[in-house]
Amino acid sequence: MRHPPRWPWSLVLVFAGATLSADGEEPPAAHGDSLPPAAQRTVDFVADIQPLLRTSCYSCHGPEAHEGGLRLDAKKRALEGGDTGAAIVPGKSDESRLIHLIAGQDEDLGLMPPEGEGTPLSAEQIGLLRAWIDQGAVWPESAEASPAQVDHWSFQPIARPHLPSVQDASWAANPIDVFVLARLEQAQLAPSPPAERETLLRRVYLDLLGVPPEPHAAAAFLADERPDAYEQLVDRLLASPHYGERWGRRWLDLARYADSDGYEKDLARPHAWRYREWVIGAINADLPFDQFTLKQIAGDLLPNATLDDRIATGFHRNTLHNTEGGIDPEEDRVKKTVDRANTVATIWLGLTMGCAQCHSHKYDPITQREYFGLYAFFNNLDEANPEVPGEKDAKAQAVAERDTPRETHIHVRGDFLSPGDVVSAGTPSVLPPLTMEHASPNRLDLARWIASPENPLTARVAANRVWQALWGQGLVRTSDDFGLQGEAPSHPELLDWLACELRDGGWSEKRLVRAIVTSQTYRQSSALRTELEALDPENVLLARQNRLRVESEIIRDLALAASGLWDSRVGGPSVRPPQPAEHATLTYAGSAKWAVSQGGDAYRRGLYTFFQRTSPYPMFMTFDAPDSNECCVRREQSNTPLQSLTLWNDGAFFECAQNLARRVVGESPQGETAEETYQRRLEYAFRLCLARTPDAVERDAVEKLFRSQVEICRRDPQAAQAILGSSPTQSSTQPEELAGWVIVARTLMNLDEFITRE
Amino acid sequence: MSIARSPLSDSDSPDRRQFFTSAASGLGGAALSWLLLHEGVLAHDGAASGNPLAPRQPHFPAKAKACIFILPEGAPSHLDLFDPKPKLRELHGQPLPESMVKNVRFAFIKKETAVIAGSAREFTQHGQCGMELSDYLPHLGRCADDLCLVRSMHTDAFNHHPAQLMLNSGVPRFGRPSMGAWLNYGLGSESDNLPGYVVLSAGRGGSGGVSNWTSGFLPSSYEGVVFRSQGEPVLNLANPPGLSRNMQQQGLETLTALNRRRHEQLHDPEIASRIASYELAFRMQAAAPELVDLSQETAATLDAYGVTRPEPNHKGFRGGGPNVYKQFATNCLLARRLVERGVRFVTLIHASWDHHSNIDAELKYNCDMADQPLAALIQDLKRRGLLDTTLVIFAGEFGRTPLAENRPGREKAPMGRDHHPYAFSILMAGGGMKGGFTYGKTDELGWSVVENPVHMNDFHATVLHQFGLDHLRLTHNFKGLKVRLTDQGGRVVQDLLS
Repeated sequence: MRHPPRWPWSLVLVFAGATLSADGEEPPAAHGDSLPPAAQRTVDFVADIQPLLRTSCYSCHGPEAHEGGLRLDAKKRALEGGDTGAAIVPGKSDESRLIHLIAGQDEDLGLMPPEGEGTPLSAEQIGLLRAWIDQGAVWPESAEASPAQVDHWSFQPIARPHLPSVQDASWAANPIDVFVLARLEQAQLAPSPPAERETLLRRVYLDLLGVPPEPHAAAAFLADERPDAYEQLVDRLLASPHYGERWGRRWLDLARYADSDGYEKDLARPHAWRYREWVIGAINADLPFDQFTLKQIAGDLLPNATLDDRIATGFHRNTLHNTEGGIDPEEDRVKKTVDRANTVATIWLGLTMGCAQCHSHKYDPITQREYFGLYAFFNNLDEANPEVPGEKDAKAQAVAERDTPRETHIHVRGDFLSPGDVVSAGTPSVLPPLTMEHASPNRLDLARWIASPENPLTARVAANRVWQALWGQGLVRTSDDFGLQGEAPSHPELLDWLACELRDGGWSEKRLVRAIVTSQTYRQSSALRTELEALDPENVLLARQNRLRVESEIIRDLALAASGLWDSRVGGPSVRPPQPAEHATLTYAGSAKWAVSQGGDAYRRGLYTFFQRTSPYPMFMTFDAPDSNECCVRREQSNTPLQSLTLWNDGAFFECAQNLARRVVGESPQGETAEETYQRRLEYAFRLCLARTPDAVERDAVEKLFRSQVEICRRDPQAAQAILGSSPTQSSTQPEELAGWVIVARTLMNLDEFITRE
Repeated sequence: MSIARSPLSDSDSPDRRQFFTSAASGLGGAALSWLLLHEGVLAHDGAASGNPLAPRQPHFPAKAKACIFILPEGAPSHLDLFDPKPKLRELHGQPLPESMVKNVRFAFIKKETAVIAGSAREFTQHGQCGMELSDYLPHLGRCADDLCLVRSMHTDAFNHHPAQLMLNSGVPRFGRPSMGAWLNYGLGSESDNLPGYVVLSAGRGGSGGVSNWTSGFLPSSYEGVVFRSQGEPVLNLANPPGLSRNMQQQGLETLTALNRRRHEQLHDPEIASRIASYELAFRMQAAAPELVDLSQETAATLDAYGVTRPEPNHKGFRGGGPNVYKQFATNCLLARRLVERGVRFVTLIHASWDHHSNIDAELKYNCDMADQPLAALIQDLKRRGLLDTTLVIFAGEFGRTPLAENRPGREKAPMGRDHHPYAFSILMAGGGMKGGFTYGKTDELGWSVVENPVHMNDFHATVLHQFGLDHLRLTHNFKGLKVRLTDQGGRVVQDLLS
């Protein structure tokens, strides 16, 4: 247990931006006279010095932490110094701040190491360090400590791992299963049985398209006895235009896509959707991920860049944009540039580079200088709005490189008004070097470096996200942090295998998705197993599938599709479906005018709903949609009564129930008897909503409800009319009966199963 | 089955079934009851009206039943509100004393030129207790004899989000249940018709979002439910046209039966939480409109809370935004109404108090917003006899530096203060805390705690204690460990208890 009171020395531990030298501008004053004398013998770094550094300095300036940007465990970094200057001046121990600090003679920081942090150094030991510096601070390459940061798993090259040996190889459908089974066998666990065929069908539809299978498609699949029926189904789904909508929305989370500027004015962005259109198209075409990367980061700089390539750079235009009166436009530009750098680092490198904006990263090997090296790539772009030919007043959002480059300075302590050293564009030194075509690299060089096969992060981070999409959690659960603070992968070899599949398979994401969804691992049942509860409550070992409540937009899509209201057109400008009446115009100065879309546009998939940053579509926010103000790598999954109220009572969902009832009554074939007709309708409703038929218990429960509601409506025709709404009813069906189906439809669409991918 | 597993049974674990049987009415609610039903433990007794938030007995008799937790996100300055330091004025403009300079580091402050900043605030004594509070808090001053002021708080995290997680969840990491979730898990809620944990925010929300009121690894029934801060607090309360409450109820029963059927097959506790969410939603349909309808409040009450105050126009301020004053005042009044209706934990968030610059003007703006409604809340609770059982807390994630911020290039900007986790103040009232009581001391600069330190986890242990919960016994089994709110330590600060 913790506890003795923790001041004042605890102060020293926490501070992030320790500075080792005063400012880097003036050399430290010489205090040679009062320092302990240098040892009078030849010192050996390995024998005399490294042990001292290890016991006295590494805890704050070593592999795990580098306060003030100073590391004393790695030669290059030690000799470079900290955030603001050198700590070691070879040949001049009396001018080396390290010596002043360990001798307690530094005017700013006093004595190092701080009490409780490392072993204090004796006069004799200080003498040894002085002698070492005076003798030239010799640090043999052979003594280069192999710091944990450089050894960190995610910075290592990706090599295709060997398949482990497993006892029961017959279970495996592909290498994914072998990796998973090896871990399960280690833990003496058996995988779960395969999911029911109906469950698997709905699972793969929801994962790949985000809409349920139509009954006829489901029936065809269930009747398909070919051994590769499932693989063929997967191939059909991968080729569907709705695949790009489903996976495009996932990308839009990362790209912080929205249809308005954010901040107080929150003005609409009428052209933003063209970027969304590009994303959907690129994903449907399975544009290789390296190309997908190049075009978004630097499409404008590609040789012979097309309008499409420039639209892809609309990626950079999704930042917030402040048009409020009195703001400093340069400050806003800097904020956007910071966001661009951070977003790219998060999406492609899985690194929390943003932490290094104000001071060197506390945990990862990223200096503040390196942060601004990345920033510099984005500091030279301007916003541009190219015209779209052939359409009147049509524009796109894009960026363009400036002819006259902006100079990039370090922002001292993150403040753009405090320019520090000039920095040139560059990438973190812990990663493979940037190869460039010109003296000063530009955004395209950065994009090529990111998408190069040598980059150890890009393929791992992207493959992990694909896995996350299909399991609810990545093999690296901190899918936004592959740095030292992130979690290690649960299945490191599997992750590298997936990364190789992606990178060496022509960067085809569809190929990777196919490999995962055709694995036995993916096809397992998602039922919880009591014996796993204690052993593996978070299902890290993958002994079953996960049940996942689907995302907000997909909940809408499911209701629209099941009810038959869905307008399945792909692409186009954003739409404004009806919102709850109480959700009045909430934005400042009424900037969000919500002119409800008419006709089919009221029934488009969720990803086409106009995203007004300051008053987003409320149903989305209730179901944990990201606010789009910054890159979102992983959505929350809450479960609240507000969600129940939405599905239960929101007008949009009730309209779906009304239409589903009409569809059920209108499309199921008449039976010989009223009872048979009823059963057929019931089965059809289950098929539309859940892609399966009801069991006996479910039949009983629904029938009881149906009979009672019909009876109530028979006695209260006005209620029946109100429930049916204004749309015409089928003449062959009594209103009370149709109203009964509305209630049943509504119940089915409120089931946990309806909004869950099982 | 992680749903509604009794936190209290971990320590005294009798035979599970026997325990459940004897405690069924007070333990698990509907979800649990029907699980037991299927295990053949209970005869069918129509227990479907219960819920996972059904009240449970504490470890020992409780002083507090409800908590209103005001989170001034961004960290208010203890030096300008709660902890007068005349010495800072004396040394205003001077560098830190040599004795302190030696061992201190900063994030944003440039030490070479950093100077001490005296507070421009006047502190006066209030009440019979003579509690010293800033002139920015005149209304709270009039409640001084009910206030319990702790001037010796310290915490472990330095940046906002980790420190907010520390404040809310006991550790500066994601994935852990917040205090409100722990209390609902331990005690359930006295309200059948409203969530046990409600979150209201004024102005732009805090940066931490849902992580500040999450249920973490506890079932999601214990998560904070966010009411909307603008427009109607809860949407979609009315049934669709034509549906009577009776029909709604029949629909709910069928829905529950079908969800239960799925749960039998898949055993996913999220299904049980979903069932509970629908049952609560149904009851909220009746209860929430009455909750948010302020028409029965007297004009005097509305005035006292400041619901109708004019809105100062300071959109550019960190804490500013459209209708923030009205929202905050309304939220305070709603907090009282929620507690009256048995809600266990109410969080009121306002962002931001992160005054790196312009502290005098912006802190005044925030205090003018918060002071009157908070004082009205305390007085109102007291008048209604609710203050004894309602713990009101006003606590930020850390304090602010005695030094002025001096970011280069901004020397001319109005003064602000940096983050300061080593010493800060929090304010409490009611819930069995001593009234008119000032506890702990900082040094003459307000830098370090010098007397009666209260670590953030001590605060957590103390809050749980007031609710009749032993923080060492309120546990949840997670990955084979018994996890607590106070995993990192913590002790009950007996000195604070009345």
